[in-house]
Amino acid sequence: MTNKLSRRGFLNLAGALGGSTTVYRAAMALGLLPAVAHAERPQLGSLKKPKKVLILGAGISGLTAAYELSRKGYDVQVLEASFRAGGRNMTVRNGDRIDETGFPQVCNFDKDPDLYFNCGPARIPGHHKALLNYCKELGVELAPFINDNRLAWVQDDAMFGGKPVRSREYMTDSRGFVAELMSKSMTPEQFAAPMTKDDYDRLREYLRFLGNLDPGFKYAGSSNSGLAVHDYTNPDVLKKPLDGRELLKSRFMAIMNFGETDDQAAMMMEPVGGMDRVPAGFLRKIGHLVQLESQVQSIKVLTKGVEVTYRRGGEYVRAKADYVLNCIPMHLLAGIENNFPKDFSSGLTAIPRGKLFKIGFQMKERFWEKEGIYGGISWTLQDIQQLWYPAHGINRQKGVVLGAYTFDPNAGEKFARLAPADRFKLAIAQGEKIHPGYGSYVESGVSVAWHQMNHMLGCAAQWDEELWKKWFKTLQTPVGNHYLMGDQVSYHPGWQEGAMASAHHAIEDIDARERAAGAVAA
Amino acid sequence: MKRRNALAAGIALALVFGSAIAGNDFDYCLLCHGTNANGNYGIRAPKISGMEPWYLARQLENFAAGVRGTPADDVAGHEMGPVGMRLKAEGTLDAAVQFIGKLDSKRPAPTVRGDVAHGKKLYENCASCHGVKGEGNPALQSPALAARSDWYLVTQLINYQKGLRGSDARDTYGAQMRAIVATLPDEKAITDVVAYINTL
Repeated sequence: MTNKLSRRGFLNLAGALGGSTTVYRAAMALGLLPAVAHAERPQLGSLKKPKKVLILGAGISGLTAAYELSRKGYDVQVLEASFRAGGRNMTVRNGDRIDETGFPQVCNFDKDPDLYFNCGPARIPGHHKALLNYCKELGVELAPFINDNRLAWVQDDAMFGGKPVRSREYMTDSRGFVAELMSKSMTPEQFAAPMTKDDYDRLREYLRFLGNLDPGFKYAGSSNSGLAVHDYTNPDVLKKPLDGRELLKSRFMAIMNFGETDDQAAMMMEPVGGMDRVPAGFLRKIGHLVQLESQVQSIKVLTKGVEVTYRRGGEYVRAKADYVLNCIPMHLLAGIENNFPKDFSSGLTAIPRGKLFKIGFQMKERFWEKEGIYGGISWTLQDIQQLWYPAHGINRQKGVVLGAYTFDPNAGEKFARLAPADRFKLAIAQGEKIHPGYGSYVESGVSVAWHQMNHMLGCAAQWDEELWKKWFKTLQTPVGNHYLMGDQVSYHPGWQEGAMASAHHAIEDIDARERAAGAVAA
Repeated sequence: MKRRNALAAGIALALVFGSAIAGNDFDYCLLCHGTNANGNYGIRAPKISGMEPWYLARQLENFAAGVRGTPADDVAGHEMGPVGMRLKAEGTLDAAVQFIGKLDSKRPAPTVRGDVAHGKKLYENCASCHGVKGEGNPALQSPALAARSDWYLVTQLINYQKGLRGSDARDTYGAQMRAIVATLPDEKAITDVVAYINTL
């Protein structure tokens, strides 16, 4: 008699407790069933005779669709309004232009392959299968990205008079404080379901490990918050725990689990040399299909096909195609002449645009590494919200630090109103609270206010439950042979994987239509 | 000090370089203001084609000088401010006005509903400067109101009321508007008068 359960035995038990859905999910978790996740790429049929496809926008969704369709006999042209391809996937290096409508800038970082700044996407989690598959296929080399660093700082004016604490101190000491309080104050009678003495004891044990409590359920500090001194010729000395009530004054509690969220948890990756290696990989294959500086001025859906007029070099050019895949941000599309039905065009103005803002600073010295910080993020409740330390180029002389990345639209607007020099001044003043002397290391800066960037005027579309329910299907459904695409037409806006999902969705639909029409080779 | 100089030099270079590459390319006006600058409600950018060149120039100068677009609550104004400054710094403000003047202006579809009869009565106060047909009066520096983005007229009347526009000491004409807008006591009066302007 063994008390070890076989995998099949475990499944039977799970089924008895939770019904067949539980069995199915558990089986998936054990690797007994193939996961029915979205395919890494759609399986399109090859056309017998080419069909003309115009793709509006050379961002991630546009490039993905162009790459897939052009391999299957579609005659693809990509019209891009900007002087560059990539959309919000944008990396700047020495000499690169930042095309903001009011405050155009040029990146003055040193000419060095390590000194770059990812203005848009900057990290990839392991479950973004489509993107990772393209990286592999297109030869985009990946490296680990450090998203969560317990030696980085947490700073909030609301606690400890604004003095920063190490992330691990906040996490460990606040957990210890809460776990001790709970273990002391809870009784079996407080729980709705009956609890046996064993249940209750196990719960207390859980709290003890969660909070690193001593056997008497007291939190007396833990090496998890970092030793007071790392002197390995002498016995360990623990830090005195920080005041729990003071820690709980900070709204950092709302950000604390950031590194555990679905898309942000370890292990994360980044392309070696900058996120724009992704569009560069696509362009190596299909760059000849992309025409830059072509700004769309009108879209007319015809009974057969779609007609597009765009401006290039001050001239208006007309183009006709069997299909149009439209990746133009919908808040801009709303201002372009069109003949969309009213219910569709009303949706274009219904979804608010994102207003994320970023700053990158070239630092003359990697001073953070002297503080034991190698990669990762320091968090602050000030406008700048976060500082990122580069995970690449460790131990080199210089590095590019992310000096602001705001999620709050008000903070984004506050920075965007300022001229770049004033944006830097504000970000430096706030950074000083985390690293005294911070400003003295800054050599040059770049700032990107996405809601003022030419051809963008916004970051990820700001969907919410109600908007999704009301508009998503309408905007995702083609109008004639016109498809709206981009991360804006996905349930994962703000991620390249969302952009690719929308592209796959659209081209699979086209494929189904072509198959139904008998236009696909057997 | 050294760092500040390096930063300042970077910005100066950026402005020069920005100007060199932008040239006389004003397509970015259409990015916000839509095809033929006929307006885009999606990002609250009004129709500017068909505007009198002198009026357009004055407003761009106002944005460049911070006469408009500076109050904290004028979020849309904040986005236009830097563009005005850029045009001024590049010396391309007049060329931009000319560019807009050549576009194919189209009367926007009405979006504002209100009590037209009531609006007509209220408009009597407006007509002395802006003309009975809303055609404007260059002699008084009053722009036309007919065939503009109606939602934008509403926004601007509210902005005048709230002091988000016309409060700057240098804004003489704006101050006149601030005074006269007091004759529109509430938001209903504003939408009524704009509903009437839509009929002109």
